[in-house]
Amino acid sequence: MLIVVVMPTLSQLREQIECLEGVQRRRLRTVPICGYIDKALPYNGLPLGCIHEMKARHLAGAIAFAALLAARIPGEGPLLFAAPDRSFYPLGLLPYACQPERWLHVTARRPEDLIWTVSEAVRCPRINAVLAIMPKTDFTFCRRLQLAAESSGTTGFLLGNASSAPASSAITRWRVSSVNGPPGRGFDEAFWELELSYCRGGRPGKWTVAWRSGGLERFRPLSPASIGPARQDTFEAARAKAG
Amino acid sequence: MQPRMLCLYFPGLAVDRLEREKPERRGTPFAVTQELNGHPHIAAVNLPARQAGIRPGMRLADARTLLPGLDAIPDDPEANRGVKRRFVEWCNRYSPLVADDNSGGIVINIAGCAHLFVDRMVERKASRGEAALLQDVQARIRRSGYRVRGAIAGTLGAAWALARYGKKAIVSREETPAALDPLPVEALRLPGEITLELRRVGITHIALLRRIPRQSLAVRYGPGILLRLDQAYGNAEEPLVPYRPPTPHRAIRTLAEPVATLGSVQYVLLDLLKEICNRLEKEHTGARRLNLDCYRVDGTVSSCRIGTSRPVRSITHLMRLFQEKLSGLDAGFGIETLVLSVPSFDELDSGQLNLPEFEADREDTELDGFVDRLGMRLGFDKVCRFRIHEDFLPERAVEFRPVTAEERSSASWPAYRIRPVCFIDPPARIEVPGAPLSEFRLGGERHRIVRAEGPERLTAGWWRDDSPSWKFRDYYRVEDDRGARFWIFRESDPARWYLRGHLP
Repeated sequence: MLIVVVMPTLSQLREQIECLEGVQRRRLRTVPICGYIDKALPYNGLPLGCIHEMKARHLAGAIAFAALLAARIPGEGPLLFAAPDRSFYPLGLLPYACQPERWLHVTARRPEDLIWTVSEAVRCPRINAVLAIMPKTDFTFCRRLQLAAESSGTTGFLLGNASSAPASSAITRWRVSSVNGPPGRGFDEAFWELELSYCRGGRPGKWTVAWRSGGLERFRPLSPASIGPARQDTFEAARAKAG
Repeated sequence: MQPRMLCLYFPGLAVDRLEREKPERRGTPFAVTQELNGHPHIAAVNLPARQAGIRPGMRLADARTLLPGLDAIPDDPEANRGVKRRFVEWCNRYSPLVADDNSGGIVINIAGCAHLFVDRMVERKASRGEAALLQDVQARIRRSGYRVRGAIAGTLGAAWALARYGKKAIVSREETPAALDPLPVEALRLPGEITLELRRVGITHIALLRRIPRQSLAVRYGPGILLRLDQAYGNAEEPLVPYRPPTPHRAIRTLAEPVATLGSVQYVLLDLLKEICNRLEKEHTGARRLNLDCYRVDGTVSSCRIGTSRPVRSITHLMRLFQEKLSGLDAGFGIETLVLSVPSFDELDSGQLNLPEFEADREDTELDGFVDRLGMRLGFDKVCRFRIHEDFLPERAVEFRPVTAEERSSASWPAYRIRPVCFIDPPARIEVPGAPLSEFRLGGERHRIVRAEGPERLTAGWWRDDSPSWKFRDYYRVEDDRGARFWIFRESDPARWYLRGHLP
């Protein structure tokens, strides 16, 4: 008597896990981040219709990183920025290919209003992306957001500084830290260390990138010794360089 | 029935309105002025000004030389129209066919109405009919402080002419030619240049005009002149388009059994919304505000009010807005009557929303619905778009403009003026213990500066009305030894350093 035992292949097992996780990898739309980071991610880019978390010591880095990704999402819909105050300054994102006209800004001082705004916005398929400064989140809220984002296709970026609680059910969690750039580079370029602390279905990682001339590229960090003493470029020089 | 037209003419509507608003104006000379070729001209004057020799048509400057204390009030056509409209509505008491003649008067078709009025002024013999009606309407209007002249004739044109230029107030159909012939040509409602032409060739009265063969009149002055003549003498029809007061948008449902559950209220509300939206669709308007009043069995009323950022007549959109509010509705022992009313609405062009090609439209309304729900909960001033101003001062360059405000174009921003992503307003004081741009302290934390770009000097602008106390600020972009970037500035006397924002 011959007994045939059908062993599931590795790919079949993966599919089963994906079904349990609720994320179907192959169906996801993505936006590219940067060539060598995309290769390390299981989705080959940043998946859309999901919730991502971005943290930074100073919020500016997290906002800029999220905004440059949000601006790459195809579609004409507005980008929504929800915050408890009006400290967001859209002119700062001009070097990151993100126009001020695209934003819709919502000020919600009370945390419950902010949470309501974000959950409504993520449900609206006409909004291209939602950026929200969330001081407090809880697991149920994050899980609901994730489900809403999956059904509407809207991408959500939850921004916070290091002290705010982690968004536990986000698909990816990033930490953006600024690093020193090489001398002679202007302030329209940015140098970041991107730390992927969690990625559903993938491995964490750490990369250093530079933002220059409209794209993220690989960048080798400088040794502390090579940063050198203080130097000052005049505003006129920057203006001349910009033409 | 032959029409009988009553024309009411207000010779001094603007002056009377101003005197009614402030009775103390009656004693002092004042003039209503209009801009003409860039100069204020006198349009109308009150009695003391007329006695001082001021006449309509003068320049204000000339009038002031005659009377230095002359009070000049700019004309307000909107307010004049408002007064006229109120009189039109009021004149419905005489006949349902009332219209504004768009030249300072009101026309009423009183055919079949005149016998209802009794002249109580003449007590000895109570006269009935047109004379009594005319007496009544004039007396009532004069009592409210407005001068008025009225005339009744068989045609609109004749009544118009007699009210302004005629001597006889009531003219029967047969007497019309005799009454019109001696009137000046201005009485024919012709354009100003044609009456001027006619006067230039010596035709000053209608009788003279009527002697000229019709053919040559039409050749010389156009067919309009014949039409006006025929209309005045009753040889051509002239319809009266009566004013109809707008009926309020209201829908009412009275229920056989009171309801208390949210579901049944929603069911009735959907029905009400269908009726209201159908009507809005027909009128090419959209609702800006809606009230739902629920009359409860215990005699109290609980209400829901919603507002929208732009005119809306989509049932699903309005239903969603109501759903946010309905949860706060207290049904008590039950609701027996629901009244939906639209206190405020605006024009909205009709769109063909059902065709698949108009998918984009549908999505736009979806976005509008989302914005409305945000505005309803947070207040519409909290939902903003950005407008960039042509102003380099950072606190003035970016305007948080509510989505309900009309859209204005943004200025383009020069790329070399790099701005922060997080803006700190008001700026935070920082301490600079050593040499400038070597280090700074912020809240006890020391930042060693490894790179700086600047200064970008921004002056306060002496020409502004709200010029700030400082003269100029030198802005620098700096990077500390850990890579964090800041936007700081030094203020002129006393020299102080501030943190203005964070760069990515």
